Amino acid sequence: MTICHFFLQGRCRFGERCWNEHPRGGSGGGGGGGGGGGRPPPQQYPAAPSGCSRGGWSNSSQRYSNVIQPSNFSKSTTWGGSRDPGKTSFGSFDSGASSSGSRNVGFSQNRFSSLNSNQVDGQKDEEDKLIEGIVKDMEVWESSGQWMFSVYSPVKEKPNISGFTDISPEELRLEYSNYISSNNLQSYLNSIQQLVNLWKSRLLELKNINSATKGALFSKLKNEGGQVVPTFGFQSQPTSTFGSAAFPGSSNNSSSSSVQNFSFKPTSGFGAAPSGSSTSVFGSPASPALTAASSSGSTMTSSAPTSFGFGESSTVSAASFSFKSPEVFSFGSAGFSGFPASSPLSTAGATSTPAFGGGGGATGGGGFGPSGSGANLFGLPTSGFGPGGPSSSSSSGPPSGAGNTAENLFTPKNELTAEELKQFVAKKFTLGKVPLKPPPEGLLSV
Amino acid sequence: MSLFGTTSGFGTTGTSMFGSTTTDNHNPMKDIEVTSSPDDSIGCLSFSPPTLPGNFLIAGSWANDVRCWEVQDNGQTIPKAQQMHTGPVLDVCWSDDGSKVFTASCDKTAKMWDLNSNQAIQIAQHDAPVKTVHWIKAPNYSCVMTGSWDKTLKFWDTRSPSPMMTLQLPERCYCADVVYPMAAVATAERGLIVYQLENQPSEFRRIESPLKHQHRCVAIFKDKQNKPTGFALGSIEGRVAIHYINPPNPAKDNFTFKCHRSNGTNTSAPQDIYAVNGIAFHPVHGTLATVGSDGRFSFWDKDARTKLKTSEQLDQPISACCFNHNGNIFAYASSYDWSKGHEFYNPQKKNYIFLRNAAEELKPRNKK
Repeated sequence: MTICHFFLQGRCRFGERCWNEHPRGGSGGGGGGGGGGGRPPPQQYPAAPSGCSRGGWSNSSQRYSNVIQPSNFSKSTTWGGSRDPGKTSFGSFDSGASSSGSRNVGFSQNRFSSLNSNQVDGQKDEEDKLIEGIVKDMEVWESSGQWMFSVYSPVKEKPNISGFTDISPEELRLEYSNYISSNNLQSYLNSIQQLVNLWKSRLLELKNINSATKGALFSKLKNEGGQVVPTFGFQSQPTSTFGSAAFPGSSNNSSSSSVQNFSFKPTSGFGAAPSGSSTSVFGSPASPALTAASSSGSTMTSSAPTSFGFGESSTVSAASFSFKSPEVFSFGSAGFSGFPASSPLSTAGATSTPAFGGGGGATGGGGFGPSGSGANLFGLPTSGFGPGGPSSSSSSGPPSGAGNTAENLFTPKNELTAEELKQFVAKKFTLGKVPLKPPPEGLLSV
Repeated sequence: MSLFGTTSGFGTTGTSMFGSTTTDNHNPMKDIEVTSSPDDSIGCLSFSPPTLPGNFLIAGSWANDVRCWEVQDNGQTIPKAQQMHTGPVLDVCWSDDGSKVFTASCDKTAKMWDLNSNQAIQIAQHDAPVKTVHWIKAPNYSCVMTGSWDKTLKFWDTRSPSPMMTLQLPERCYCADVVYPMAAVATAERGLIVYQLENQPSEFRRIESPLKHQHRCVAIFKDKQNKPTGFALGSIEGRVAIHYINPPNPAKDNFTFKCHRSNGTNTSAPQDIYAVNGIAFHPVHGTLATVGSDGRFSFWDKDARTKLKTSEQLDQPISACCFNHNGNIFAYASSYDWSKGHEFYNPQKKNYIFLRNAAEELKPRNKK
């Protein structure tokens, strides 16, 4: 029998049930984690099964370990669950959903009272596993040479983690061809460089995850549930906006340097995009508000994430990010990060927020208010725009965003419905009645 | 400066075509090379349907052209015709009667190529490059379905300039597949939608992606009664998810598997992970083939959940693949797929399409 690595580290989730050997005298706390519940099914990462009945994602921490529960993944034979066809395999995603659902309430409850240590153990476990999974995935992503311009989600039913944009190789290559044909290779190279930097910084942020990032991640993940609202990072989660302020900007000073690199052509220059409805792709990360300047943005409801500024010239400085006029941001599709200093937001796809897992997924739609075309993402009082503000100012990003923080971060009381106000005032949220808007400033007691 | 890291570089290790052939790795599997292959990366391949006698192969490339070859039983390939777009061709498909070929291009249009007259006319228009094109043949209607980066799915009657129907997608369409009455579309931001095509196309279900990363390719598979019952979804992270639409036991029946990675069993060293560029199901056996950026193709049996075969590594990524209508021929294209960015792009490098006899190797493994 192989010795269980996790037991040695004191964190084997199977305890008695574990299929590997737990040497006596090894860490005594090893058995404790087994309480995490669930059976040891083989997951799709044929490495160790998950103790908790969540999707297999969280277990990616065990994914590459040499400790392999009996299902092996030798190349020539079976993959995954073959060793035990009887067991439910590959991540009971369904049960994962329900368990995370129940976590929401507990978690949001804790957001409002100071985090007490009476939390359910399993919940801590859940978060830890999630974090572990994310860290492992980031490490793998970094070392494996896989395509970097991809969104990422740590667990099946969770939305994508913000800060990563989806660009397919074809889109990138098309950009390249366009730039080459307009003899503008340098701008292409610059944009690529920016994208890569943004990706790298986001990756490092997640890899060396600190409590601020963690907090924001969780609030976003838990509250958004099954929705794949493309990551605004601070979008209007009901609970997360305040407090998560640290999230985007906090550790991200590295990318503030990229501010200078943003070369945008304020006006029509969607880079080399041939026609008005720009086709180029690099909207998301590099886009901070650039589009702000280009008023043509408002018409692009149906275009692919517009490329901001891969265009020629420009020396639009950071200060020119004027977030003031909401209509400027009404790209139906464009994703942009308001704060170059902060982690980039990936494509908003605002028109399509109710994409997944319907259910309470109205969050995204509700959060954005008029989530129809031309979503005025930054014009909404409830938009999660706010959190970016304080963080960016703290990280020496463009200060112009900060001005909007106040009114955008919290919902003014008069905008809340009676129901929502009641919820905010109450000691804890009632499941099913969790408000979609951030609470008013006055009610905060963080 | 290398932006994409220095993992096993592709283009850097390939030898020149004109140099020595001893270490030339462009065809390690010794498969048949298609003559007159396109001059730039091949984005899509498609074989003619059974209604057409013989085998005709269509390939769309980044050189803006679509080429057609006749593939004879002895393996000889005869170039037949070619059409041009004004932008790279991203997808091709045949009509059910084998008389027309539909091509989708970055020039935001899709064209219908009548092979008999060798004329091509535009039949679709989008606001952004058209990524996928499929022919739908329903009992009460026929149309062309185009998916584009403008986040729409449009259905076209080829005779009319405006679409019969437009459906909004949550994000840019990255890949799609149609097997009547089901259509599966995978979009950016891990979007996944299944449509049912009876009477008229309508959204059937939005599915939570079983994969964590960007979707790259999708292929629908059928059950024993030849009805579409699920799909295989490939991502850039060397993983394929097999997903049934209405399985008796979703947790058990749906699964994902890793593929196109280096260091299969040795997990101590970091693996290189490659994107899955294409998935194709064998029309007879129901087994599947995947091709990846690592320059290998693999055959799998999803019911027995085993791998059947993995090829040797080619010196270039394999960007597309396709089976012919009876499953005897497996075609795969060896050309750069941009998986490592522009730095590894070598316009001088020759692009190949290989044909392999697929009758034997894709037989399902007997379940133990």
